[in-house]
Amino acid sequence: MRWIAFFCALISIEPALGASLKLEKTITVPPEAVVRFTAISPKGDWVAGACQDGRVRVWSFPSGELRQALDLEDQRVSSLRFSADGALLAVGGDRGGVRIWNIPSGKLKLELKVVEAVIGLAISPDRSLLAIARKDVPALLWDLTTGRVITELPARFAGSQAIDFSPDGGWLACADGDTEIRIYEGHTGALRATTSDLLLESFAIVFSADGRTLYAGGADKTVSAIDVASGKVLRAFPRQTYAVSGFARSADGKILVALYFDDRGAANPAPVVAWNVADGSLEARVFEPKVTPNGAGFLGNRVIVTSSADAKLLLWSLR
Amino acid sequence: MTWHHAQFTRREILGKCLGSVAILSSSPTSGVVEALGQRETQHRRPTPPNEIGPFYKKGAPPTATLRAPGDPGMPLTVRGQVFNTRGDVLSSAVLGVWQADHLGHYDLDGYRYRAQVPVDSQGAYQFDTVIPGHYPDRVCQHVHYLVLAPGHKPLVTQLYFATDAVFEGDPDHNFGRDPLLHSRELVRPVVLAGDPHDTQAVVRFELVLELL
Repeated sequence: MRWIAFFCALISIEPALGASLKLEKTITVPPEAVVRFTAISPKGDWVAGACQDGRVRVWSFPSGELRQALDLEDQRVSSLRFSADGALLAVGGDRGGVRIWNIPSGKLKLELKVVEAVIGLAISPDRSLLAIARKDVPALLWDLTTGRVITELPARFAGSQAIDFSPDGGWLACADGDTEIRIYEGHTGALRATTSDLLLESFAIVFSADGRTLYAGGADKTVSAIDVASGKVLRAFPRQTYAVSGFARSADGKILVALYFDDRGAANPAPVVAWNVADGSLEARVFEPKVTPNGAGFLGNRVIVTSSADAKLLLWSLR
Repeated sequence: MTWHHAQFTRREILGKCLGSVAILSSSPTSGVVEALGQRETQHRRPTPPNEIGPFYKKGAPPTATLRAPGDPGMPLTVRGQVFNTRGDVLSSAVLGVWQADHLGHYDLDGYRYRAQVPVDSQGAYQFDTVIPGHYPDRVCQHVHYLVLAPGHKPLVTQLYFATDAVFEGDPDHNFGRDPLLHSRELVRPVVLAGDPHDTQAVVRFELVLELL
């Protein structure tokens, strides 16, 4: 596209720890497309950005070609999530609207309306279920084949911040406003385990590649590894000075990228950290002064995609 | 981090508050205290809920003193009573509060400005703190509440201050400037008490829970 400027920077942003992240490519988007936050498909072939102008733009990656510009019409986009195969994009709004589009065709597949703002979305691997985390009220599990709610997923109080299906769809985890993480059977929403050890709210969760471990991070500035079967916290990765806002897992499941934010002001610069999940060690860390990362994902196992509020999509190689 | 708020003296903060609203009074709070002792029985409207925000932390210590000696910022006492919509006082309520310090920073490492506030046999509560600063990602100063009582819906809400400069002295018209503030009812008048050299803000905030 004529407004997309590509250039290779090939500079190391921060000294290597276990490994290093090298900036390979920057895609600068036009001012009207300033990206508030992104979702990156699990295979890294699509990037969806919730843009300042209210539209959701979908770029193919790593070409950077703009493929779709979608919207929720009457509400501000508050959540984005691709299905595991990248064939569906679910978009939630701040007044409860949810739309699911086929990607890359941009054909609208389904539209739902729920009460309260949509904070998080997850599509089951078989694409038959949609889980919706909502502000102030219980999360919902929807059957997309019938268009009906299977069940509510209530916390003791408040709503939920993040929701995720395990890679095989057998489990569904929900990070709730009461600081607990609840793990349900994926297809029924039956509660199977609760993590009560976390004192502060988690803003991000993701299952391990084998579905046995759940990683959670949030206001406690720590990534916690949780045993899915029991709900017990197995270990915590070294604490950072920033809160965790998002996760991305490499295709082989060996690297977990955590996106951080400054709890003293979300617009402040914050790091992106690549963790080795085998031992909880820090593989690499990027911190760019003046840059606030607002999305992260993987292209395969060694290429990390990040987005930032300064209208850039960045491609990093993990070396 | 540099914060210009840090340079304000208590007198300057007071000046700002006095300049921003007309509802302030220097009268003592005897009427408020008197009302505390009365058992209320009339039906009440539930307190509007307001979102929990990102920094709730469980395990806060039981105390009514959130303000440590020498803490900067305008001293604040918040008091009220916990009812249900039938007008019954809820002496069994568990009342959690948390807020930013006077600079707008939340303590995520410990429990500064976080407490489980005692509720007495009349459902009355009171705690001493400071007026919170403006958290950078919010428009208004606020105190978070979580109120739990057996047989009642949990109440998650926030207390706002009519003196907040954001309202420019007119919270009736300007409360909507904070996109998270949906009810004027949550903006409470601030009473200034004490002498000019030792001023303290007092706010009354009743809490009404819905029955399950």
